[in-house]
Order: sequence, then structure tokens, then C-alpha cells
Amino acid sequence: MTTPSRTEAPGAAAGAPPPPLLLRAGRSALSARMPTLAVAALLVVTVAASAVLQPNFFSAYSMTASFATFLPLATIAAAQTIIVLAGGIDLSLGTIVTLAAAVSVVLMDGDDARLPLALAAGLATGAACGLVNGLVVAGLRLQPIVATFATSSVFGGAALLVLPQPGGEASPALTETFRMVVALYVPVPAVLLVLLWAAWRLLRRHRFGQYLYAVGGGADAAYTSAVPVSAVRVFSYTAGGLVAALAGVALLADSGAGDPTLGTELTLGSIAALVIGGTRLRGGVGGVGGALVGAVVLSLIQGLVFFAGVPTDAREFVYGCIIIAAIALAGLLTARGARRPAHAGGPR
Amino acid sequence: MDTPPFLRMSGVRKRYGGVTALAGADFEAEAGTVHAVLGPNGSGKSTLLKVLTGVVAPDAGEVLLEGRRLRPRGPRDTLAAGVSAVYQELSLIEEFSVLDNLVLGVEPTRFGLRDTRAARARALPWLERFAPAFGGRVPADERAADLDPGERQIVEICKALVREPRVLVLDEATASLRRAQVDVLFEVVGELRERGVLILFITHRLAEILALCDRATVMRNGADVATVTVGETPERELVELMSGGTPRTPETDTGTTGTAAAGAGSAAPAGARTDASRVRPRAAAAAPGGEPAAAEPLLEVRDLSGDRVDGVSFQVRPGEVLGLGGLQGQGQSELMAILFGARRRSGGTVLLNGRPVHPRSPKQAVRAGFAYVPGNRGAQGLALGRPILENFALPSVGRRAGLGVALSRRREIAAARAVAERIGTRYGSLDDPVSTLSGGNQQKIVVGKWFPTEPVVVLMDDPAKGIDLRAKAEMFAVVAELAAAGAAVVLGASDDRELVEVCDRVLVLFEGRVVDEVSGDRLTEDTLIASSMHIAGRDTGTGHPEATSALPEPDRAPAPAAGTGTGGPAGAPGAADGPAPEPAPSDPGGRA
Repeated sequence: MTTPSRTEAPGAAAGAPPPPLLLRAGRSALSARMPTLAVAALLVVTVAASAVLQPNFFSAYSMTASFATFLPLATIAAAQTIIVLAGGIDLSLGTIVTLAAAVSVVLMDGDDARLPLALAAGLATGAACGLVNGLVVAGLRLQPIVATFATSSVFGGAALLVLPQPGGEASPALTETFRMVVALYVPVPAVLLVLLWAAWRLLRRHRFGQYLYAVGGGADAAYTSAVPVSAVRVFSYTAGGLVAALAGVALLADSGAGDPTLGTELTLGSIAALVIGGTRLRGGVGGVGGALVGAVVLSLIQGLVFFAGVPTDAREFVYGCIIIAAIALAGLLTARGARRPAHAGGPR
Repeated sequence: MDTPPFLRMSGVRKRYGGVTALAGADFEAEAGTVHAVLGPNGSGKSTLLKVLTGVVAPDAGEVLLEGRRLRPRGPRDTLAAGVSAVYQELSLIEEFSVLDNLVLGVEPTRFGLRDTRAARARALPWLERFAPAFGGRVPADERAADLDPGERQIVEICKALVREPRVLVLDEATASLRRAQVDVLFEVVGELRERGVLILFITHRLAEILALCDRATVMRNGADVATVTVGETPERELVELMSGGTPRTPETDTGTTGTAAAGAGSAAPAGARTDASRVRPRAAAAAPGGEPAAAEPLLEVRDLSGDRVDGVSFQVRPGEVLGLGGLQGQGQSELMAILFGARRRSGGTVLLNGRPVHPRSPKQAVRAGFAYVPGNRGAQGLALGRPILENFALPSVGRRAGLGVALSRRREIAAARAVAERIGTRYGSLDDPVSTLSGGNQQKIVVGKWFPTEPVVVLMDDPAKGIDLRAKAEMFAVVAELAAAGAAVVLGASDDRELVEVCDRVLVLFEGRVVDEVSGDRLTEDTLIASSMHIAGRDTGTGHPEATSALPEPDRAPAPAAGTGTGGPAGAPGAADGPAPEPAPSDPGGRA
């Protein structure tokens, strides 16, 4: 009973008018593209403003520095997106970044020979932290926002135990590679950013990539469709932890030293970035691509505030206001695109 | 019987807190049959089938499929065993395309990645098979959220079929379908039966059971009562079994069986046709010989327009029940939403007791004396997770608050108890969440919660969708009580029989306009059907093949005699020409 017998749709050719179909398809496409358009527009605006305000913005040196600052936030935003898409949220991501970086820096201790081991240990730490989060949320069924708030203290405390104060020394090979420019112009962090996106595309093509959206879009519906909902949740947190550990390594490579406090503010930054990138906080809608661009936009705005000559004391204030405007813009466009009839009168 | 049955469930028990959903139910069914599972709401039929599909874990009992024990830990296991279900609550991911929804959970893979081409090859034939139900198109790449409820239900059915089930569970799958869609579904079910698939079918529509089912098992109070062969059982007996067997008003029984039998026209010896008998006596005004025109209109609507509502005028007198009929989605819901202030009004006036009212929000409408009972009780009628008490209290809470703010729990409870008693709701405790109640009882609360606000006009949008005959009768008794208290009731219903039984007068809508008004002796299902098809029929032209004889749903289908006034082909535009009964934008309804 693989193929049902086909019957011609009677009168379909003559009677069925194409316009509603086109209209529907068009509306579908538009609502799917709307967040992408919004974040793309924001990117164009911020890049243009940066080019005006920042001399030599497009120089090789400036590009390298820029991408080196983009990468950690973009990576952690990608991690958060994976989790949020599946209907969760992870407030501990920042401390996972910190802990993974701390473990790595303590293990490598400025020695290139120990770099592979240290990197592996850092990534494993991140994945393990994510696994803990996933088990707490999916297994104990705690509210993710509360559960990960609690685990963030645990991970942060562990980071302090591993590396009590800022210090340690990253391996020179790591920091040097991070500063390199390939093909005369393209900085390594930019390459890494593209690799991150490519990895996401691969995941998206995998079953589990699809299941992330299914669980976030409707966990009950996914469950009755034989999607392994709990496994997907655990997977999302574990993958998020792993990617967060990558962000930790990126930070380490950028700064050259460990800092047990450096990841914390990234948590909220990651959430802002993914919202700007068009991911719905309830889950099920969005993507890592948007979050990466959102993170770049966020970093650029931070740079803009600096270069626009805003007084030091007012910088935070202005930065915050601009973020609100950006999120509102993204949210407005997204809501407009995905709008459904406000009062669906129920099926008759 | 020598061989063990294809499917056997025995001694299945399930309790939810203090409520027993299943009390040792037994069930057997054979492959290659369509087997109906009947019973009042809360009789455990849905729970029984959820045990089969693995969504609910039973406290006791076992399930044997082809003699092998099924011990599912979830829907994954039962799907692997070949059991696939179409649930009452839809299981579609709104943001996914139809295609992605169809293969969700069973995505074909290639090199570890999803193979979209294989997925399309697997799912598309089913969508194409159901194309007439989508108005002739194949909406593979449209978002599930952009489809209308009937179409989503069809997608849901396709989704179950893509899994190539050996047992297909259809739980109220026809409740939101249009007739053309039901036709296609029944054709497909027939094909599946021939291929040896067991189809388990839950419905409250008797006609569908008669048209489609081979056997029927009746459930009551969490246990099976009887299993009968449909062809050998008189409708009257089926109705009695379905409605719980408890004594009911004689009118109701004859009314229901009568119309059903007359409409179905299948091998039916059938009770006397008594179309004229009603669930309730006509409005007081009409009863003692006097014309109902006597009283002053309580609600008068002049030229009301808005989105999908086009210049509607009518009057309702106190104690009168006015029906809104016609095909599905012709502006009936929108009209009521506009009256209730939930949608914008673009023109026209509404007079309540002769004074113009213009509610701009539901809150203002309630203050003016309107009450609204939506068809979609989960989304609009109830706060499902909140206690029964609060749901009862919500619309009227301001009236009881001392000094406008202070609430007394005792007073709240007393008020809720009074209403619960009046509408005959069964519940464990007022503090239980509403979601613990059965669908019929939930719907009664949606109606009953308006009592304390003493509404003048009650708007009901398909309030009986998906509840059983008995709960339906009880709920309409509640409606009658509201009307008897002097309220004007406006009732939209997708079931023409409901309109005939409950209403004093029915307006037939087409594309947002009133095209006919039916009352008195003209108020029969046949008239309503003919009337609602009138305009659609004119546009469809000629030629429809065999449909009329095979129409499975007599409450929509014109009985052979009905089509007379509208010129033969009017009857089956749905089957012959997909888009016709839909409000297709190109359909030049304006000609009318």
C-alpha cells in the first residue's frame, strides 16, 4: 500500500483558479523570508555606518580584529539558537564558555604540544555541562529557565575552582593561528564563522536538525509523530554546550589568557543576537544563520557606539537603546510576516 | 472463532486521579474491516484508542496485535508495529510545510541526512490522492498554519497514511471536514479496507457509521457495552446505544433516528420520519398558535458589514433561537465575532432593545449584554489549565467583587455550584483543572459560565462540534433555558440537523450575505441544503458523476428529492468540482 491509486482531480484544470495558490505560496515564502530580510537590512545599515565612522574598516587588519570580536558572541549565539529552537533556553551558556575556557587554558599552559589535549578537554567539558542541563530539563522536567539558572552557578563555581583568578597562558600556536589571514584578505575567524554556519547547515539536513524545529514548534505534536522528544531536548542542550565550549576556545584564542568571569555577559548577548536574527524565543522558528548575523550586528553596534564618540558614561545607555530598537524592528517584521488571523472563528 | 482476532485489547484500565477513564474495557476487531467505536463523551473511547496508540499508558490490561503482545512505551513503538492514528487534537507542526509534516518522524535518510526527494516521492501520492479535498490543488509546500481547519485535518489523515499503517485510528477525523472532503476520505477508507487494513472510527455522526462501518463497539462508563454488526442493527438501537441508553425525551429519539434514516436511505427499515419533532418546543411566542412576529425585536442588525460579512440584516426577538446556516465558512463565524466586538465592524448598525450598540471589544460586548460561546473551546472558551471554579467565575467575577476588588472564595464557590447544578455538569472538585473534564462537560462550562452575567444576546458558534448526542442534547437544553429566560440566541452550526432541531428560524449565508431565511414548515434539512447550495450550484455548471448515490453524510447531502428547486447538479458540486463549496476568491458570488 505504498502508492494509493490516483484519481484525476475532476475539474482541477478547468475550475481551480491559480491565484489563491500563488497567493498562498507567496505569503508562505514572504513570511518565511521576513526575519532574514530584517536582519540582512540591519547588517547592511550597521556595516555602512561602521564604514563611515571607522576609518580603514575594510582594511585587512581591521577586518581581522573585527571578526575576532564577532566570533565568540556569534558562536555562543549559535549555541543558544540550537537550544531555543528546540523550545528551551540556557542561561548557563556563559558559564559553560567560562568553564570550558578555564579547563583548556589550565591544561595547555602555554605549551603547543598540549594544545590538542587541552582543546579536547575543553570541548568535552562543554558537552558534559550541556548534557547535565539536558538531563535536568528533559529528565527532571524542570523549567529550563530556572534549571539552567541554577546550573549556571554550578558551572561558574567550578570555573572558579579550576582557575581562581584571571590568568593562565594560551598556547602561542592557538593565538597566532587565530590572528592569521588567509588568501591575503580573509581572516581566520571569518573562516571559522563560515565553518560554523556550514556545520549548522549539515545538522539542519540531518533528522535531528528537523526534530529541533518539530519539538520547539509543538512538543506534543512531535511526540505523537514518533519524534523522540526527550532525546531531542537532551541533544539540543548537549550540542549547545559543545558549541559554547568552542566559543570559550575562541575567547581564549582572542585574549590569550583565561578569565573565570568573561563569559557571563555573553549569555544575555546571545539571546539578544538570536532574537535580532529572527529566532522565536518560544522555539520552532528561526535558525543559526540569522543568529550569526545578529551577533555580528550586535558587535558592530557596540563598536559604533564607541566610534561615534558617545561619552564613556553614556555608552551602555546608548548601546542598550539601540539594541531595543533593533530587537523591536526584527520582532515587528517577524510578527508582520507570520501573522495569522487574530480571531480565527473556529472551524465551521 | 478459531483464529485469534487481529486486534484484541482486554481488561484495559486507566484512572486519572479520581476519575476512572477505563474500567476494564475489552475490544476486538478484525483486519479488513471498518470498526466504529461509539459512546457518549467521557465514556473512554478516546482513552481506549490512545492506549492502543501508546499515547496513554494503561494501569492494567494488554493489547494483542496478531496475537503478539504490544507493550508500547510511546507512539514510536506502536507506529513501528503498524498502528497510526489521526487524533482529535491535531498533531501538525504549524510552521512546517505540509510535506515536512507528512514525513515527520519517519524521514527517509540518505548518507545519514534527510533525503527530501525520497520524502516527496513517499508523501506526494497521498496528497495527490486527496487533491479533490484541497480544492484540486496539492499543497505540498504550503505551511500547515496557512491551511484551513478542514484541510489540516486532511493533512493529518495523509500523515497517518504515509506511515503505511495496518491499523488506522480515525478519532473524530470528520468533525471539521466539508462534505467533498469526507467523500474522498471515505473512498480511501474503502480502498484501505480492501487491502486488509483495520480502520477504527470514532464519530458522533450516525450517518457516517451507517455509510462506512462494518462493526461497531459501544462504550459506556469506561467499559465496552456491546459490539454489533452495523448492517443488522436498526438505527434506533444504535442511537440508544450511542446516547447512553438512558431514557430520553421521546421527541429527541424519533427526531434523530427519523432524519438519519431518511437521509441515509441505506438498508434502513427505520423509525417513522418525523422531521417536525424538535428537541425542544418552539419559542414561547410561537407555541400558542400566535405568529412569532408578535414581540418587539430584542436584537436588530441592519446592514452589518466587515471582513467576510456583507450587508447582513436580521432581527431576533426575545426567547427566539436564530440559526446561521449555509455552507461552512460563509461568514457565520465572522458575523458573530463582529457582533461580539472581537472583529472590526466596517458598516451598519446593531440595535439592542432599540438602542444602538457598538462594542469595540469583547469586554464592552459583555457589558452590553452579549455572551459568546465559541466552537473552539480549547483555544477561546476555556482556560484549560485553570480550575473549574475560575472558569465559571471569569466572565462574571467583577459583579460579585465587593467594592469592585475584594473576592470572597465562598461566594465564588456558591455561584459556581449553582451554575454547575443548573447545567448538570459532572466534576470531581471545583479546584480540578478544566482539562480533566470530558469534551461535553467542558463545552457545558463554556455555555454555563455566562449565566451569572445574565446575557441578553447569546452568540454561539458551532457549540456542539465534537460532543456526543447526549451532551449535545443537554447543552441545547441549556440554550433553551437561556432563551426561555428571555434571551435572544444566535446559533451557528455546521450540522444542519442541529439547526433544524434547535432553531426557530435559520438564515442561510453565502459569502457573507444572507441569501435565504427559512422558518416554520420550510425549516427542514432538505430546504437548508438546497438553499445553501443554491448559488454555488449555479456556478458549477453541469455534470457530476455518481456522487449523489454514494453520499455518506446525509445531514449535508441532498436527499434525492431535495435538489429539485436548484436544478439537478446543485447537489454534488463538491464531489464533481473541488473548489465550488469553498469560498474560492474567483467564485463570482457577487452575481447573486
